[in-house]
Amino acid sequence: MRAARFVGGRLLGMLIVLLVVALISYLIFYLLPADPARLACGRPCTPANLAIARDFMGLNEPWYRQLLDFLTGIVAGRTFGSGTAAIHCAAPCFGYSFQQNAQVIDLITSRAPVTASLALGAAVLWLILGVGSGVLSAVRRGTAIDRLTMAGAVAGVSTPTYLLGLLGILVFGFTLDMVPVSGYVPIVDSPVDWAWHLILPWLVLAYVNAALYARLTRGQMLEAFGEDYIRTARAKGLSEKRVVGWHALRNVLLPVVTLFGIDLGALLGGAVITERVFGLPGIGALMIDAVQSLDLPLLLGCTLFGALVVVICNFAVDLVYGLLDPRTRGGNA
Amino acid sequence: MRLRRIVLPALALALVGCGANEQQPKTSTEAKAGGTLYILSDRATNPFDPAKSQGLPITTLGLVHRRLNAWNTAPGKDATVAPDLGTDAGTTTDGGKTWKFTLKDGLKFSDGSPITSADVKWGVERSFAPTFSGGLGYHKTLLEGGSTYKGPFAGQELNSIETPDTKTLIFHLARPYGDWPWIASTAAFAPVPKGKGTEATYGEHPIASGPYQVSKYQSGIEIRLTHNPQWSKDTDPNRTGLPNEIVFQLGQQSTVISKRLIDDSGNDKDAVSIPFVAPAQLAQLQGNASAKKRLVTSSSGAVAYLAINVTRGPLTDPRVRQAFQYAVDKSAFQVASAGSAALAGDVATTLITPGIGGREKFDLYPAPPTGDPAKAKALLAAAGHPAGLDNLTLVVSNANNSAEKAQAIQAAVARAGIKVTIKPLDSDAFDEAITGSKGDYDLALLSWQADFPSPNANLQPLYASSEIGNGGYNVSRYSNPAVDQAITQAQSVVDPVAAGKQWAAIDKRIMQDSPVVPLIYTRNSFLHGSAVTGFYIPEFPAYPNYLQIGLGQ
Amino acid sequence: MRVDVGESSPTTGRPRSVRRLWHDRWAVAGLVGFGLLVLLAAGADLLTAIEGHNPYDYNNAALDPQSGTPAGPLGGVSGEHWFGVEPLTGRDLFAIVAYGARTSLLIGLASTVVSVVLGAALGLLAGYLGGWSDRIISRVGDVMFGFPYLIFLIAVGAVTPLSFPRPLLLIVLLGFFGWARVARIVRAQTLTLKQRSFVAASRVMGASTVQVLWRQLLPNLWAPIIVVGTLLVPERIAAEAALSFLGAGIPPPRPSWGRAIGSAVDWISTDPMFLLFPGAALFVATLSLNLVGDGLRDLFDPRSV
Repeated sequence: MRAARFVGGRLLGMLIVLLVVALISYLIFYLLPADPARLACGRPCTPANLAIARDFMGLNEPWYRQLLDFLTGIVAGRTFGSGTAAIHCAAPCFGYSFQQNAQVIDLITSRAPVTASLALGAAVLWLILGVGSGVLSAVRRGTAIDRLTMAGAVAGVSTPTYLLGLLGILVFGFTLDMVPVSGYVPIVDSPVDWAWHLILPWLVLAYVNAALYARLTRGQMLEAFGEDYIRTARAKGLSEKRVVGWHALRNVLLPVVTLFGIDLGALLGGAVITERVFGLPGIGALMIDAVQSLDLPLLLGCTLFGALVVVICNFAVDLVYGLLDPRTRGGNA
Repeated sequence: MRLRRIVLPALALALVGCGANEQQPKTSTEAKAGGTLYILSDRATNPFDPAKSQGLPITTLGLVHRRLNAWNTAPGKDATVAPDLGTDAGTTTDGGKTWKFTLKDGLKFSDGSPITSADVKWGVERSFAPTFSGGLGYHKTLLEGGSTYKGPFAGQELNSIETPDTKTLIFHLARPYGDWPWIASTAAFAPVPKGKGTEATYGEHPIASGPYQVSKYQSGIEIRLTHNPQWSKDTDPNRTGLPNEIVFQLGQQSTVISKRLIDDSGNDKDAVSIPFVAPAQLAQLQGNASAKKRLVTSSSGAVAYLAINVTRGPLTDPRVRQAFQYAVDKSAFQVASAGSAALAGDVATTLITPGIGGREKFDLYPAPPTGDPAKAKALLAAAGHPAGLDNLTLVVSNANNSAEKAQAIQAAVARAGIKVTIKPLDSDAFDEAITGSKGDYDLALLSWQADFPSPNANLQPLYASSEIGNGGYNVSRYSNPAVDQAITQAQSVVDPVAAGKQWAAIDKRIMQDSPVVPLIYTRNSFLHGSAVTGFYIPEFPAYPNYLQIGLGQ
Repeated sequence: MRVDVGESSPTTGRPRSVRRLWHDRWAVAGLVGFGLLVLLAAGADLLTAIEGHNPYDYNNAALDPQSGTPAGPLGGVSGEHWFGVEPLTGRDLFAIVAYGARTSLLIGLASTVVSVVLGAALGLLAGYLGGWSDRIISRVGDVMFGFPYLIFLIAVGAVTPLSFPRPLLLIVLLGFFGWARVARIVRAQTLTLKQRSFVAASRVMGASTVQVLWRQLLPNLWAPIIVVGTLLVPERIAAEAALSFLGAGIPPPRPSWGRAIGSAVDWISTDPMFLLFPGAALFVATLSLNLVGDGLRDLFDPRSV
């Protein structure tokens, strides 16, 4: 019962957050000095043509009406225009991109595999690398390994992703010609090419993020080493491995899981800069295109999608948190 | 399905194009049929819906769709209008208010049905529907009843297009218009089988009238065109239809496209690119002899210009505007555009661009290429601004390193005491700002390529007062009733030579009022693979003619 | 939006002697690096006067007439142009980096101040008041962590009229998107402090909420605030550079590291020095500040040493 209340409360919270995001996004994009109808108007664009285009896209309605149409469209689908050439956007309709002639949700789902490949691949790498080197550093505190790892880590958090990516492309792509400099190959076409095109972005993302996790892990483990229960475990004569493995590591899990959930959520919503630098046609690239071409329905859809992913990941983190730490189960945020 | 490429014994590289590249002293052989042509694109889509297209007749849309008229282009010659579906380019007996076309015999769509006048009419009508608007719409206000027509999908016809029989079309215009044959070469005049083409995604699988049809359309990845068996070269002198298959590779980064074409390995030997070569890659090419040979630069192109908003503050005074003509540094602008004057394009002094019949060359404001700041200052002082101008806004698009070019302008006019703030905008926000009704800017940097090779298309959209705001491109908001009248008069003249004289006079007249400062005629440079033949850039437009490309070895 | 170490380990509040900082070699190195950059930014006028160029003048003589790339090797590095020149314009790269330092430091520091003020206030409220205020603030903070803020910033940048000074807009927006991190730490610390006896005592004595917040809690919070603030500055600098890289940051011609890096992307294979100089400057700036921040954190929280 408590669990059900917990889950129910969270879901409601998620819904409220999404609605607020939708509202704020709509207001901001509505204020943009762009008339999406103008882009559908052609050249030369006469006032008559413009009026027809605005009417067709539903832009003559006041903003709250448009928002309501958008929200009802999510549940019931939406139709633009009338007659045989009307455009039908089937439920769930998160908007229709007139510029790309496709439903927003179709555009997002077609790009999702790219972003997912990038995010998940990098995530696996940085988790292993980051937590691993953090543990190593903590256990071997003060040695050369520790110093070297932490030096690498601080350099990692100081390097912007795009800079490292550009350098990587320069060295491994153009100069050494070892990896392709951009593009994406779907895994179903050729797993080898898929991995080969992603290896550089994975490594770049993994390094920058692993640096963060290494620092976090090391800090948490050192803190744990000072805790009473560790001293007790040592006093009890448990092997160093068990001390490290079971007890200290569990202390690390919570903050790492929290951080990981947030990071993964942010990345799955579209790693805007990385995709741009490496020419990967993912959701981040879609968002940049949407902003630059002022494709408002697409922009709104992508923003909502990003918020949805973040909210879901937060929810997942909360669940795992609840499982891992009995103190927080049923408690408040 | 890939076909084996037929290998030729002789090398065939017929490179033509004035400008920075050298003429090839090689024997040119005819391009042979066969092979797969690769078109590398930086865009995610390339739809083939004629109603929504603003494309030129000689580029990709022309591979799939024929039109009433086509453009006849050849290296070193002005472009002329040529019949495509019709037996002639259109005839008029009443001074340009009514135009008659007769279709050729034996024309068929890719699905086997014959192309009739009703299909051409349906194609034009379709462009009026909101679902399919977005293409060039010059015809919409010229046809009688066009301004209120909303498309054929509710069952209504556009009566000003008459189809007395299956081969004849008669267009009734609202006023005499001598350039109607050029209008009939715009994309909306491609035939669509009557009653079809109702889905918004028609552009992904259209019914073709040209040499190729779309066999696969995968957005963001690739498009495949295969031969349209119903197309015959006998009825189509404007297209060669040589390659067996054409593959578009979508969503490529433009720097990667340039690199692939420079490296010229594997299938890239059979490749051409849609985006032109950026200045950074042009620089890279200089050291690569093989790539340099495959670089084709146009001799002229769109006119890049600085538009001055004549409705704002000190800019209402023509002397102040004329000061800008002397204050700008066109040679710095050339370097900022493409690294050198040869690659960037010639200094511009007229509004009509080279390669268009009727153009006369003149320079009302002679100055050295670096400008004449002293004269600019003198003009400003005479107009009551001895200390120069302050706080002017220059809007510019983020694309195509325009922001850097704007900085060249900013630095140049600062020498005459004119202080300018640059506002870079994303390309669609930029379009909105300059074509919207507010006009909240003092200066704008942009370029314009005529939509068809008539001086009309260089002057009317930019300087007629009807094109101010509401989506029109009269960015300088110039309004001169005498010029408006002269434009309407020149548009009604059917004989292109007589019309040309009137247009040249209008060009001079507008330049006297100095609403814009023409900067350069932008050259475009394109790379192609070593096995591509027939690749040339005509005098106008500054884009290669895709309809005549073939593959050889 | 990075979440760094120290989130879940509230500090004890009482710092060790600051002199201890001098023994941390890395922190000292960071201070030196940062100091040099501050000197570069502050002395940009003087240094560029010595060199003889400013970041605005076009200098076609320094370019190769065939292609527009810098004449001379290494991107045109010479006694005349210490860092070489920018292709196609010939503008002096050293001057661009020096004045760009001003832009980056100004925006980085100012937006951090905004983040800290906003975040500390909200974190204090969330931690002290608890209940719904805490729930709402924490939820909003969580969503903001992962929000595609770059897109938002680009969009908002497109909306605001030119009359609104761009640097101010960036400071406000970047500051606004950084409060969540500060709030999280301040909240955690506040929760711990709330249990302490001196807080309870002051309530018993009749102090109002404001007085408790201001007199009792805030003075004990400045340590973690300083730490997270110092670690936030390099992130803000990097965010401004990222925005400029995407073309939505400081408009030209004011020099900006991010915009220079963005322009340098196309020239990677032809003129890599164009990327390396501003890129190195950005790296040094963020690295130095991170080292200083680490040093401060080690100072205030001995357990993490």
